[in-house]
Amino acid sequence: MARSEAHESRAVHITQEDVRRLCEFLYRRTGLSFADSKRYFIDRRLAERIAVTQSASFQAYFAILRSDAEHEIEHLVNAFTVNETYFYREEHQLRCMTSSLLGDVARGKKAGQPIRIWSIPCSTGEEPYSIAIWLMENWSQVDSYNIEIVGSDIDTRALKAAADGVYGDRALMRLSRQVIDRYFQPVAADKHQIDPGLRNSIQFTRVNLVDAQDLARYRDFDIVFCRNVLIYFDDASRRMAAENLYDCLRPGGYICLGHSETMSRISPLFRVCRFSDAIVYQRPEADHDRN
Amino acid sequence: MPLVRRDPTASPPPSQGSQGDLASHIAALSGQDAEDRWIAARALGGHADAVPALAAALGAEQVPRVREAIMTALMRIGDAASVIALVPYLRSQDAGLRAAATEALQAMSGAVMPFMTSLFWDGDSDVRLLATELARNMPAAEATHLLCSLLEHEQHPNVCAAAVEVLAEVGTREAIPALEACAGRFAGTPFLPFAVSIAIARISNTES
Repeated sequence: MARSEAHESRAVHITQEDVRRLCEFLYRRTGLSFADSKRYFIDRRLAERIAVTQSASFQAYFAILRSDAEHEIEHLVNAFTVNETYFYREEHQLRCMTSSLLGDVARGKKAGQPIRIWSIPCSTGEEPYSIAIWLMENWSQVDSYNIEIVGSDIDTRALKAAADGVYGDRALMRLSRQVIDRYFQPVAADKHQIDPGLRNSIQFTRVNLVDAQDLARYRDFDIVFCRNVLIYFDDASRRMAAENLYDCLRPGGYICLGHSETMSRISPLFRVCRFSDAIVYQRPEADHDRN
Repeated sequence: MPLVRRDPTASPPPSQGSQGDLASHIAALSGQDAEDRWIAARALGGHADAVPALAAALGAEQVPRVREAIMTALMRIGDAASVIALVPYLRSQDAGLRAAATEALQAMSGAVMPFMTSLFWDGDSDVRLLATELARNMPAAEATHLLCSLLEHEQHPNVCAAAVEVLAEVGTREAIPALEACAGRFAGTPFLPFAVSIAIARISNTES
């Protein structure tokens, strides 16, 4: 029998200490935290990754994980988190935007100044369109301001899909029938396309989040949604990305990260803001205006 | 519809130091304006020739975000000169600077490795204690070897406890004799034999 087949057919025994070791590493590296009650959940996913990497033991797998060979941290985090993207994902942050952030943002605006919102990475467009729809459905002052929404990603294929704006039923599962009827048109069985007016109101651009030159034209955003990407970067890249985002925000602007991410573990550049709906991070108004 | 579309790339990029050359960025590092220093520090990441200037700027910089950018620049360069620039901050009286230096050095484990032995023989126990954290991101075999070498001669229980904690995460079975010897030497300091027992349990279970 080939060596790899032998590994696949043999279940690796995982002990309580192995799980603790893994959880401590994951918490330190990503901020993901699991209670003891999640043992079965962890064991299953860990066993999957041990099998996929053809590791002979937890120790062998842990060495792969620690060295991040073949982006194993990304694979493991993906196994632990919901990767599927859909409309109104992490709705509490959208609620926070309309209940807390925009009031503050709007107060600082002079007549005619737009409110600028950036979704990076925007993948296939669910997030920037969700922001637009949420604003039109839930923000009473939406007609009082010009609002610019930009969606950016490094993947040009994803950007093409975002501009096309065609989605399956699963992506729309969190939207009400009324919202679907208002903003989508059926284009095929189980396929819905974003209304042309909405599609044409969002700018999609290609950007590399860790390339400062790439980002030099992106300035004065009021709110940035940067969810579920920093967790995958190494330490230096994460810090570079955080510094880039700092430059892209106007002073006092806000950044929303994914549920498994915390800026405090990445960079002290931002102030933590705890709102009733979500924790977000704010670029201080001035250098001395910090925690 | 209140949504307006504007291409953010249509306007020219702001005239920033990012367009300047190495010499002008290095000069800007000691300028009066914090924004210019921030831009310069960010532009110098990856330029090994800028390490002496970045090191000098780090010592003088008072604005936290500029200091962070200098740290990031040194992390991105990540060579022996960057390590030499950052190591003195492990003994800084400023806790924030000390923690930032530790974090930066932790991310440069390959470049830090040749310096570990001298750090583990440093006269300041706080430096030795922080140095144990630098082993955390190293390959298991190297980290185990370095930390066991420390345990063999270390007299300070807190430094040993820090090493034991790192070994509990990254150690291999080769660490067990050194851990047992450490527990024996510090038998009168109950927390240390307890920490050692946890580390050995983890290492043993992991490798069984």
